[in-house]
Amino acid sequence: MMLQSSSTLDTRRTATPMANDKLTLEDVNFYYGDAHAIRSVSLNFPERQVSALIGPSGCGKSTLLRILNRIYMLYPKMRATGTVKLDGQNILDPRYSMNELRARVGMVFQKPVPFPMSIYDNIAYGIRHHERLGRADMDVRVEQALRQAALWDEVKDKLKGSGLGLSGGQQQRLCIARAVALRPEVLLLDEPTSALDPISTAKVEELVSQLKTDFTIVIVTHNMQQASRISDNTAFMYLGELVEYGPTSQIFQAPKNKRTEDYITGRYG
Amino acid sequence: MSVSSSLYRSRQIKSAIALTLCVAATGLGLIFLIWILWTTLINGLSALSPKLITEMTPPPGEDGGLANAFMGSLMMVVLAVVIGTPVGVLAGTYLAEFSRGKKIGDIIRFMNDILLSAPSIIIGLFVYELVVRQTGHFSGYAGGIALAFIFLPVVVRTTDEMLRLVPDVMREAALSLGIPRWKVTVAVLYRAASAGILTGILLAVARISGETAPLLFTALNNQYWSTDMSEPMANIPVVIFQYAMSPYDEWHVLAWAGAFVMTAIVLLLSVGSRAVLNRKGGK
Repeated sequence: MMLQSSSTLDTRRTATPMANDKLTLEDVNFYYGDAHAIRSVSLNFPERQVSALIGPSGCGKSTLLRILNRIYMLYPKMRATGTVKLDGQNILDPRYSMNELRARVGMVFQKPVPFPMSIYDNIAYGIRHHERLGRADMDVRVEQALRQAALWDEVKDKLKGSGLGLSGGQQQRLCIARAVALRPEVLLLDEPTSALDPISTAKVEELVSQLKTDFTIVIVTHNMQQASRISDNTAFMYLGELVEYGPTSQIFQAPKNKRTEDYITGRYG
Repeated sequence: MSVSSSLYRSRQIKSAIALTLCVAATGLGLIFLIWILWTTLINGLSALSPKLITEMTPPPGEDGGLANAFMGSLMMVVLAVVIGTPVGVLAGTYLAEFSRGKKIGDIIRFMNDILLSAPSIIIGLFVYELVVRQTGHFSGYAGGIALAFIFLPVVVRTTDEMLRLVPDVMREAALSLGIPRWKVTVAVLYRAASAGILTGILLAVARISGETAPLLFTALNNQYWSTDMSEPMANIPVVIFQYAMSPYDEWHVLAWAGAFVMTAIVLLLSVGSRAVLNRKGGK
């Protein structure tokens, strides 16, 4: 029951009969010291679709997301087991280059965190590390990224200004621009709108729907309406386990598991 | 209604008392600061002339200035900063960024705190043994090294604390771009913590520029103009110490003037470092 076969997912997208799985998780476990935070999770994230992770606080949805680019390795005593395959290669293998992984799998966080530098440099900084570009090419790339994040028109006249001078919603779009500027294949969004006002939230949601033509997106959200609005697939997690995973319409309209149904209908969470 | 209004009344009274005590305490601190500045200014006023920085320390009964002492102090402080800043910033960076969850980090931090509060005369004696005894004579190098030992733990401590104040999400955001740890530290974290680290360095400079005990054992003093750091070197704190203890009026005045200038410099450094912190922090 836990594993939704990819064929059921594909029936929803008649234009692309075989959506490839970009990320495949098999028997993934995660430990904070002795605490077992993720319990044997297996699922697939199809390419160029939005997959949402929902569940009550502490269910492990953010933790699961943080395994996908191994950002958890910043902290001692955290450990993941199992396999996570990105295009068939296991990224949890210590031999898999962490910096390459993160160039391919971008991330946007709950709180917008512009770097303490100009708007331009916020975008260019990451690119400079991975590519050697001339001044003109870099300008193009920065503009492109800002346009992709629907921020260009608002900041084109103050690119030299500090990224910290932007509003919260603009800062978050700057962070999205910073992530997409590296041209990653997967974009991880960790509750990207929970610190934003409704108008900024709507902008970011619209953006996510546009970005999925280029990226495979995995989004963690507290907001169930948001999951139902923008995602193609939804995974419901509870106490570190994957309870149910399937097409978003099915999860929200005809959940097969009682716990999913209780959560969706607001009985807890 | 009456119960709550009497409750409010008693709170207002408590608040007024607490506020008065706070203001009084602040005023007390300020009074002493102004008193010190005023006394040194009045007593040293007659020596506060261009001669103070153009003429050498005089023999008893003659006119003179403190030029050699200012120069010596400046050179030794610069030496201490040159030694202490890179070592201190790197050590602080190691503590904050690379010793997470390791026992060694806590041990180093603890040892650094001990060094931070070590009496400066002990550091003077230590460098006396380490440098002066080995080379056979007092020298500006020994003085600078002694000051560096006092300077170092302050910089380690502030760098460590300022970097740890940078939220983890900033590290995560930079690392998630596939940028290696050291580069994230240099380009993003130092930038975020720069005001704090700079403040630490300025405060440490303020701290060492008035140190006397470690210089007594190391640089000693020099009556003449000397920029040779391998020779004994004049410096303001030791000159103040000597002149103030002497029976000569001209020396007393010079000691007061030196004290005033040093106090003013330290005050300016402290105020300046606060200004740096506020300007950066306010953005």
